[in-house]
Amino acid sequence: MTRASEIVVVGGGVIGCAVAYYAAKRGLRVTLIDQPRRGRATSASAGGLWPLGESIGLGCGVIFYKAQLEQGKVAEAGGPSQLPRAFLDFALQSKALFPTLAGELRETGGLDIELERTSLLFVMYDEADEAFARPLWQNCPCGRSLTEWVTPEELGRTEPAVTRAARGALRFNGDDQLNPYRLADAFRASARTLGAKLLPHTEVRNICVAKGRVIAVETAAQRIPCDAMVNAAGAWAPEIGRMAGIDIPVLPVRGQIVATETLPEVLSACISTTDCYLAQKRHGEIIIGSTTEETGFDVGVTPRALKALTAGAIRAIPFLEQVNVKRAWAGLRPGTPDELPILGSVEGVAGYYNACGHFRTGILNAPLTGVLLSELLSGAPLSFPLEPFLLSRFGAHRDTGASRVGRAR
Amino acid sequence: MPRTVIIDLSSHREILWAAEETAGAIRADQLIVASGAYERSVPFPGWTLPGVMTAGGAQRLIKTLQVRPGRRALITGTGPLLLVVANQLRAVGTEVVAVLEAGRHPRWPQFLVKARGEWGLLKDAFEYWRGLRRAGIPLRFNHTVFEAHGASAVEAVTYGPVDPATWTPIRSQAEQVEVDLLVVGFGLVPNVELTTLGGCDHRYALELGGWVPERDACMETSIPGLFAVGDGAGIRGAAVASLEGRVAGITAAEHAGLLPRAEADRRRAPFLARLESLLRVRAVLDGMSRIRPGLSELATPGTIVCRCEEVALGEVQMALAAGARDLQAVKLLTRLGMGPCQGRNCAPAMRSYLSHATGRTAAEVGRINPRPPVKPVRLGALARMTRAMPADDPFQATIREALS
Ligand SMILES: Cc1cc2nc3c(=O)[nH]c(=O)nc-3n(C[C@H](O)[C@H](O)[C@H](O)COP(=O)(O)OP(=O)(O)OC[C@H]3O[C@@H](n4cnc5c(N)ncnc54)[C@H](O)[C@@H]3O)c2cc1C
Ligand SMILES: Cc1cc2nc3c(=O)[nH]c(=O)nc-3n(C[C@H](O)[C@H](O)[C@H](O)COP(=O)(O)OP(=O)(O)OC[C@H]3O[C@@H](n4cnc5c(N)ncnc54)[C@H](O)[C@@H]3O)c2cc1C
Repeated sequence: MTRASEIVVVGGGVIGCAVAYYAAKRGLRVTLIDQPRRGRATSASAGGLWPLGESIGLGCGVIFYKAQLEQGKVAEAGGPSQLPRAFLDFALQSKALFPTLAGELRETGGLDIELERTSLLFVMYDEADEAFARPLWQNCPCGRSLTEWVTPEELGRTEPAVTRAARGALRFNGDDQLNPYRLADAFRASARTLGAKLLPHTEVRNICVAKGRVIAVETAAQRIPCDAMVNAAGAWAPEIGRMAGIDIPVLPVRGQIVATETLPEVLSACISTTDCYLAQKRHGEIIIGSTTEETGFDVGVTPRALKALTAGAIRAIPFLEQVNVKRAWAGLRPGTPDELPILGSVEGVAGYYNACGHFRTGILNAPLTGVLLSELLSGAPLSFPLEPFLLSRFGAHRDTGASRVGRAR
Repeated sequence: MPRTVIIDLSSHREILWAAEETAGAIRADQLIVASGAYERSVPFPGWTLPGVMTAGGAQRLIKTLQVRPGRRALITGTGPLLLVVANQLRAVGTEVVAVLEAGRHPRWPQFLVKARGEWGLLKDAFEYWRGLRRAGIPLRFNHTVFEAHGASAVEAVTYGPVDPATWTPIRSQAEQVEVDLLVVGFGLVPNVELTTLGGCDHRYALELGGWVPERDACMETSIPGLFAVGDGAGIRGAAVASLEGRVAGITAAEHAGLLPRAEADRRRAPFLARLESLLRVRAVLDGMSRIRPGLSELATPGTIVCRCEEVALGEVQMALAAGARDLQAVKLLTRLGMGPCQGRNCAPAMRSYLSHATGRTAAEVGRINPRPPVKPVRLGALARMTRAMPADDPFQATIREALS
């Protein structure tokens, strides 16, 4: 592998910013181009860093599973499916980068990402919840050391705001949180300090490929010659892929989310139930997420989702009934058919790299994605095997004009 | 439905309403939004001190709560409302030391020619002006507040002349006066949150107070069946608002098949004619008190510009230095506009500030996108949401009442 001399990153969400940062840190010449689109995922996100919870289907996973059960799409089979081991390892390795990264970003970019140690609690209401949680506790893929069975009494002591009707909880230590747009901002500001060029409010219109190589990226106003480009356009990645003749199976998956007014500190852990998840942020608001819907690029909020999320939140934390909603919004997760991100090179188009399809864990997985892409771009050895995440896992991917993308969950 | 707020509007004209205990959704074929306006905030050093209040706030204290808001007052801002408040304050025994109008002196002869046929609109203003004269309250044109001073409440105010064209403060000629009340009224800003959420096209029109929905002559927005009228579609006063309401109502009835086209035309005609005549006069009035960019120079780095999140101007300046070029970027970097008011108070002033500082147009500086709920609502009310109308349906009751 060779070192790219001129790199363009398309898309300035958390992923594009992370790639630009790590590339600039390696001394690569990089230009980050972003046109803000309604529903971009990073500014909609909850900011949970839940490698364990997410890989076994908590957070959005368990809510999604319940919705599928109700629609009869899956047979009752003991809870949401677990993601492959490679995902958990990737997420754990990415998660481990945060403490050092927080310091680096503060020093280089002058911004605090508001990283907090919280743990994630799966709060159980009934036998079905317990039946789902018990095997996870006994043989969690992460090993027993990071999980903890919490009795109702202990739960009442450590999280007095949580309902007394709970039958206890399963705690995942090491599942933490931060402020997601601060993370993107801090990556961007630090990349800039390290010499990256930023083109905000600029839309990428075309990618020039000649003799099987990327040679330039075009915006309305200019043509930027390059020998490598990174597709980090989130839910819009298929648009960018098509410009290079590549079919990317990414679909927008809407997530609606609600934030309360600012409250005094009432939660110390992030909470996940079969109805919703809750995380109190540094500034005091509690974020209540989230739906998982395939509704195209519509970024509206729906009465049905508002009702389900608020009812779920009140069930978990009864006093919220009297609390005001500050805001509700929706974002578009870049979903893929197997829920794994799409990373790395594509056969037949030299200089083209994917960094997309991060679905519901793009915040968590941004650092390792950035590290890996910067390694690819500089021709350095990789710190994590890329095979499970390559586009080629889906089979044919060169755009034939009529091909259909796979269905994301 | 009294005591009920609309918290969201989708682009298919589905509204989400909320009351104290419950909430619900209604899909309307014809929908008229008449959401009014809110007062424009202009940040200057000391503007958050107790004793500094908006013109509307002062009126509420006097009229609704029957409270005298202060002993000795200075009134500053622009527009005829300042004169109204001056008279009201005087009537409750507050000494008004002066009214500072940032705009220029109206050139009466020229003005009167344009106002032909619409004397009513001027009569009130003239009455208020006479009231001021009789009480010996000086009205100073092209003057405005520079700073409010005080430890825990207003004790004194620095003010002075502004450049007539730009309203840039001329600090070398500043004066100081001791007061315990400073009333500030820089006009109104259309409340376009619902039309924005509803997906209507908007344009920026400084003379109408800011962003306004695009409409055709019958008040229909770019979303078919969605009408916008009154101050919420551009600040033009009560008379225009009620005429627009009539035109929209007739047209909605026509769309719904309740009025034949010819009959609708016949009913609309007199209101449309009256509107045209009124708008001619308003254009002159609006020109005088149109907000000017020099006001952005009042705030200093230490001045709070977003009260909800306590963001100071200095932080906005840092965000600019870090590359932010629009309101959305400033919001994400500073939390400006992230509080409960959703930027209602800070966005108009910061829009002019960013335009002034970056040389970009208001449209380029952009907006802070409204998010539901646009009015406060409890989680409990949303959790009890029903598709149907509430059991004792006040909406149906109102209709029954209107029909009986
Ligand atoms: C409600 C919700 C909650 C979530 N919670 C979590 C969580 O707790 N933890 C977690 O890890 N993840 C979470 N996620 C997922 C996470 O937010 C996403 O995986 C992540 O933000 C994806 O980042 P991205 O940079 O790929 O996409 P985006 O943030 O969408 O960025 C893509 C960017 O590319 C730009 N773009 C598109 N087309 C073009 C073009 N032609 N030219 C230039 N620019 C273009 C877009 O405007 C956008 O700015 C959540 C997502 C949602 C919606
Ligand atoms: C302090 C003050 C003094 C004024 N003095 C004069 C004067 O002397 N002469 C003159 O001609 N004009 C005056 N005006 C202007 C005049 O009041 C307006 O032009 C007129 O009221 C506009 O009517 P409207 O129906 O468009 O809006 P409004 O009368 O403001 O009515 C809007 C209504 O919509 C409601 N609303 C808004 N959002 C929602 C929501 N989400 N859900 C439910 N309800 C909602 C509001 O609560 C309000 O009741 C004054 C305005 C103010 C603020």
